[in-house]
Amino acid sequence: MTSLLNALNAGKTSLLTNQKSIEIVGNNIANVNTEGYSRQRAELMQIPAVNFNDFFIGQGVTVSNVSRDYSSFITRQLQSKTIDYGEESGRSGPLTELERIFNVTENNLASQINDFFDAWQELTANPSGQVERDMVIQRGQLLGDAFANISNELDTLTQNMNTEITGEVEYLNEKISEIAKLNDRIRLVEVTGQTANAARDQRDLIVQELSETLGVKTYTDNQGMLAVQLPGGMPLVQGNMAATISTVLTGGNVNLQVNIAGSALNVTSANLGGKMKGMFEMRDTFIAGLRADLDTLAVDLTSAVNAEHVNGYGSDGLTGRVFFDDISALPPGSVPSRNIRVHLTDSSQVAAAGNPAAAPGDNENALTIASLEVTHKVGTTNDTFDNFFSQIVATVGIEAARNELALGGAQDATVQLQNLRDGYSGVSLEEEMIDLIQYQRGFESSAKFLATVDEMMNALLQLKG
Amino acid sequence: MKATQGTTYRMLGTRLNDISLQLEELRKIGATGKRLNVPSDDPAAIRPVLNTRKQLSNIDRYLETMGKSSDVMQATDGHLGHVESIMQRAKEIVTNAANDTLSSEDRTTLAEELSLLRAELLDAANGSVDGKYLFAGYEEDSKPFSVNPAYTAAGYNPADSATWPVSYQGDGNPTSLEISAGEIVQVNLTGNDLFLGASTWNTPGPNSIDPGRYDLFAELTQAEEAVRANDQAGMQQSLTDLEGAAEQNRRLRSQLGNRADRVESAMEYQAGVRIDLEQILSRYEDADAIEAFNDIVKQETALQAALSVTSKVSQLSILDYL
Repeated sequence: MTSLLNALNAGKTSLLTNQKSIEIVGNNIANVNTEGYSRQRAELMQIPAVNFNDFFIGQGVTVSNVSRDYSSFITRQLQSKTIDYGEESGRSGPLTELERIFNVTENNLASQINDFFDAWQELTANPSGQVERDMVIQRGQLLGDAFANISNELDTLTQNMNTEITGEVEYLNEKISEIAKLNDRIRLVEVTGQTANAARDQRDLIVQELSETLGVKTYTDNQGMLAVQLPGGMPLVQGNMAATISTVLTGGNVNLQVNIAGSALNVTSANLGGKMKGMFEMRDTFIAGLRADLDTLAVDLTSAVNAEHVNGYGSDGLTGRVFFDDISALPPGSVPSRNIRVHLTDSSQVAAAGNPAAAPGDNENALTIASLEVTHKVGTTNDTFDNFFSQIVATVGIEAARNELALGGAQDATVQLQNLRDGYSGVSLEEEMIDLIQYQRGFESSAKFLATVDEMMNALLQLKG
Repeated sequence: MKATQGTTYRMLGTRLNDISLQLEELRKIGATGKRLNVPSDDPAAIRPVLNTRKQLSNIDRYLETMGKSSDVMQATDGHLGHVESIMQRAKEIVTNAANDTLSSEDRTTLAEELSLLRAELLDAANGSVDGKYLFAGYEEDSKPFSVNPAYTAAGYNPADSATWPVSYQGDGNPTSLEISAGEIVQVNLTGNDLFLGASTWNTPGPNSIDPGRYDLFAELTQAEEAVRANDQAGMQQSLTDLEGAAEQNRRLRSQLGNRADRVESAMEYQAGVRIDLEQILSRYEDADAIEAFNDIVKQETALQAALSVTSKVSQLSILDYL
């Protein structure tokens, strides 16, 4: 039995479905600039046909689901490239600072070393000169200041990095607990057979942010909940349980701990990824290495000058005095590069003379000390003092140049992948406009259909009169 | 795959950003004239640059040292020229005095002149520059030569400096200066070597005259004594000795002259090296101005293109066609 009422019903489903579809298009357009939004689409399905005298006749249309355009492959790719990008960006900040500290201008540590030995060279031409003798002491002090300055700058840099890490942790904890909450919401929504599109989009976005800072790994369980772990395997989110990250101070440096189920686990840089890994490696390996080199140079330079200075004679005829305070065996905790101080208190103690008579024209020891600049090799290397320093600067330069390249590459890659993601999941206004026309026409046709059915019913009702 | 609004604007944004950053970098190179501004600009150039800078500052120091040495040497040469003429005059006087026809008064006058010459030699030997005695070895602050009151003609012994007519308070160490990396040059002569004929000097003595060499003061004193006493044999001996002493002075003077030449040519050489080093430094750290400005113009054109594309994109919209 066919019935006009059935037709009316079919028309109604069509009106509702097209209207729903237009709503979804409207939502897409509204979110055209929303970060992390995946385009949604109405899944249309015809209402199961009913058997009328062996004829199967459709009963209209319905929206069976609202799905999103999503490719987990692209999302994962994006996540892994973001980790690379984060790691390099964590290094780039400190490196910019380091390039300033170890600069190549004409006022760096190398020029201070030159000036110091230049003062000795000048003393050789006039060993009894009061001015020349004072100059040697003064240059020695300035050299100490230059070393201390670099050492302090490195300290400040490390402190700033510690502050940045501490500040970052607060946001990290917010994000981690947000994922746990979203996990819960997604499970509740999806248990009913629906797809929690908005929640999933939001979770992906947070995971991407966490990838950039922590380099997290993620797995989805059968309930749609995301397990988040640090690269070393420490769990951050398990179902709807979130761990918290806290900071601990060890030796003046900030380190991370993961607190989960009542126990606190220490996080080493091997367990990290992304920006945090970059920062920890910079701080604990790279900057620490630079500092060690600087200390080596400081100890070697002062020891080399002292070794020659004790053999000479001051203008007061005394011998056996060191020029710099001995920093080769400082108590633990003292940094050699910050403790270079001229030991001499008076210019008469400058040992320019090489003979016990300490005659005013005797410049033998000054010549020996001045020649250290070109003859002395630092430690077991084949480098003079300033070559050793240029080696340190070159290390910074190479790392900064590498970082610049890698950061540019990682940035390009993430931009490409984001474009790829947009190409798959993004909202295209052209597409939405066309969909809009399509659904509008569908809606108009259904209305037309209903008007026709209405006329038919009218015709029927007028039969009587 | 589709081109979304997000993709389009992201690409435009990134591209504009890249171009502006590069332009910024190029402008920095153009403004500073240097292509090595931070270590990462060219890590391989850091070592040569710092090394060359050190060499340049060392050369400045060497040039200054050599300038000073050259002053000392010139002053020394002046004094030695004076010594030369003193010895010449002494020889003439002794030759004159050896003439039999002179009266004893004449000889006394000549002897007085020899005595004055010896005083003049003493002044030359105590010559100084900048308040520093030239011929005192390391003891440059104390007057090196003084008349020995203990001298007696009879007690004179060439092997014992305590008996010499003039005693020496300096030491036997010539001053050496570094005139280029590792090259150390002796820039003066010591009084004992030059005036006393003793190439080494022990403080305190005893010291002796080297065989075949002469104590200039002793020779003048002996000549004076011989003239006073009209000792013909003594005067003849003095003539030979004075000639030998003058010869000793000439020899040392020419040695010093050679070293002065060496310093002179080293100065020229270092000045040449300075120019070379500056070129090397420039090659490592200076930007090629033409290239830099070309690049800037090129990059500015690219920026203009990117900007105009950006503005065109926003004019195209499906909304205008519906």
